[in-house]
Amino acid sequence: MIVWLKRNMFRSVGDSIISVVVAALAGWVVWQLLQFVFITGRWEIIQVNLKLLLVGRFPEELMWMLGTSILALSFWIGAVASSSKRDPDKKTSLIKTGFGLLSRFGLIIALGAIIIALAGTLDAVLLGIGTVAAIALGRLVGLARRRIAVLAKIPWLIWQILLVALPLVMIVQTLLVSDLSEWGGFLINVYIAILSIALAFPLGVFLALGRRSSLPIVRLVCTSYIELVRGAPLFVLLLLAGVALEFFIPSEIAPGAIFRAVTVFTMFTAAYLAEIIRGGLQSISKGQTEAGKALGLSTVKIIFLITLPQALRNVIPAQIGQFISLFKDTTLAGAALSMLELLKIGEAITKQDDYLGQGLVYESLGFVALLFWVGSYVMSRESQRLERKLGVGIR
Amino acid sequence: MTERAYTDATQIKGGDSAEPIVTMEHVVKRFKDFTALKDINFRVGRQEVVVVIGPSGSGKSTMIRCINMLEEHDEGRIVVDGTELTRDVRNISEIRKETGMVFQGFNLFPHLTILSNISLGPRQVRNMPKAEAEALARSLLERVQIPEQADKFPAQLSGGQQQRVAIARALAMKPKVMLFDEPTSALDPEMINEVLDVIKELARDGMSMIVVTHEMGFAREVADRVVFMADGEIVEVGTPEQIFDNPKEARTKKFLSQII
Ligand SMILES: Nc1ncnc2c1ncn2[C@@H]1O[C@H](COP(=O)(O)OP(=O)(O)OP(=O)(O)O)[C@@H](O)[C@H]1O
Ligand SMILES: [Mg+2]
Repeated sequence: MIVWLKRNMFRSVGDSIISVVVAALAGWVVWQLLQFVFITGRWEIIQVNLKLLLVGRFPEELMWMLGTSILALSFWIGAVASSSKRDPDKKTSLIKTGFGLLSRFGLIIALGAIIIALAGTLDAVLLGIGTVAAIALGRLVGLARRRIAVLAKIPWLIWQILLVALPLVMIVQTLLVSDLSEWGGFLINVYIAILSIALAFPLGVFLALGRRSSLPIVRLVCTSYIELVRGAPLFVLLLLAGVALEFFIPSEIAPGAIFRAVTVFTMFTAAYLAEIIRGGLQSISKGQTEAGKALGLSTVKIIFLITLPQALRNVIPAQIGQFISLFKDTTLAGAALSMLELLKIGEAITKQDDYLGQGLVYESLGFVALLFWVGSYVMSRESQRLERKLGVGIR
Repeated sequence: MTERAYTDATQIKGGDSAEPIVTMEHVVKRFKDFTALKDINFRVGRQEVVVVIGPSGSGKSTMIRCINMLEEHDEGRIVVDGTELTRDVRNISEIRKETGMVFQGFNLFPHLTILSNISLGPRQVRNMPKAEAEALARSLLERVQIPEQADKFPAQLSGGQQQRVAIARALAMKPKVMLFDEPTSALDPEMINEVLDVIKELARDGMSMIVVTHEMGFAREVADRVVFMADGEIVEVGTPEQIFDNPKEARTKKFLSQII
């Protein structure tokens, strides 16, 4: 430790001065932060408005459905995480596994604990325990598939569909029963982000392929779309969507704010994704296509079996970066489409009668920032894991 | 020139009566205003091994790439196993099923295991069931002497091993003729022989092949005929002895004196 310090921070007088100054500054910042978090911060504003911040005006009597959806999702995550292949020769000790899990999920667990503590209700505690149990159960089911011959016989795709069916049915059910306009808070940011990512990804792939198509018309349409959308500020597009979506959609349908937001985020993200993916495709050597041709594969099969998978893998970091900015940009929907998403509610609660003019924006915005930070950080970490996993044996 | 190429073609294995596996007649290939192949006339007999030599830029790669339509020829006729090459998509895929190609840079698919690299073609092009395709892949790995590498990824193999996988991948399509474009040029010297040995083995088994190479010892050993190309033309064709020991053309003599 001492040796390390000496070698890395105090190699020369100049180094030493810089090290001391930086350490002092960092220490001061951390001290201030700790004081704010544990002493001066008035967290009752978060405590009182917790439900509003997390789910907006989501009806109380339907909360159980939301909870069940979370449990179903946790089960699915657990099952998917364990159905991935692991090196059977590699034995890891229990402690090491535990440590790995902690470093992977610790942040989420900590955030969950904070939220449960703030909520302070039995329901919240039960949901927390339930979530952990659901993940564990999912893992067990995933393991069972590898151990039990009957389950192992189920084709991979069918198995994935079976697994995803449960959370999907729950979520759709919740969507159908509740009124979307009552959704709010962080729930809506997450919902918009997930839906937009799921839609933008295939659209982005399509646009990237279209821009490289040998058909001039397809190329022209895709290129114009990409350049047009990338040339406009996201906020302007959102504002436009607030008034102008009727140009494209019959006014009888009168799409709600969430629909408008998802449309814009999907279109916007797809344009950027398309360029990222196109870059990935360009990085694949011509020899790959030629090898595919020499085997007699069709152009479509060469793209979907050979070049695209490699291209997508090569640009995972940039893609996830795009998804992370989409996730954070969902806060723009509040201002542009007057939607009660997390940031908007975070601002609004500081103007409640009880808290007006008391400068509680730090608490409120701090909490908002924490939620987004944890979400983004987890996405970034998981993308690195994915990259490592898909990069098996690649230089 | 044309005349001689044809007379030589009558010496092909199997005699006059046998239908050649590859026929090229008056083939011309241009890149923009540059003519890479000028009136190529040539036949490869069944089970014949033809080695193509020549200086860099002489059109060796272009010629064999025309045979499996990685390049489209501009004039003349190319017939592979009785099927003439046209621009029709179905025709292209038929031809590519009959020809296997091995590239200088291996061009294995880095995201697939060795086994999947080899079984991909049979499964996707010949609609072979997975189990059968994998069994075939394993038997081919056996044949190129690296059965133990089946579950690795290309980047985990040495260059020589990768090239042998590439050969197995091409063989998995059960081609009627194999095209090799400088299969050992990207390899470290100590790995060249393990690849050449596999190719020799194929030659012994009676595979028709066209091999572009700079390995003259190998050419002498396995070639039924050697083709010398320069400036987009076939300058001289003959048995290895004729070409290496007794070249007739000035350009052949010059080339051989430079590389030896
Ligand atoms: N796609 C292309 N576009 C334009 N010119 C090309 C193209 N491919 C090849 N050529 C040209 O055609 C000529 C023949 O090229 P080719 O690759 O067939 O030569 P080669 O005999 O295989 O040479 P090497 O021993 O260097 O591989 C060269 O002059 C080359 O510059
Ligand atoms: Mg070449």
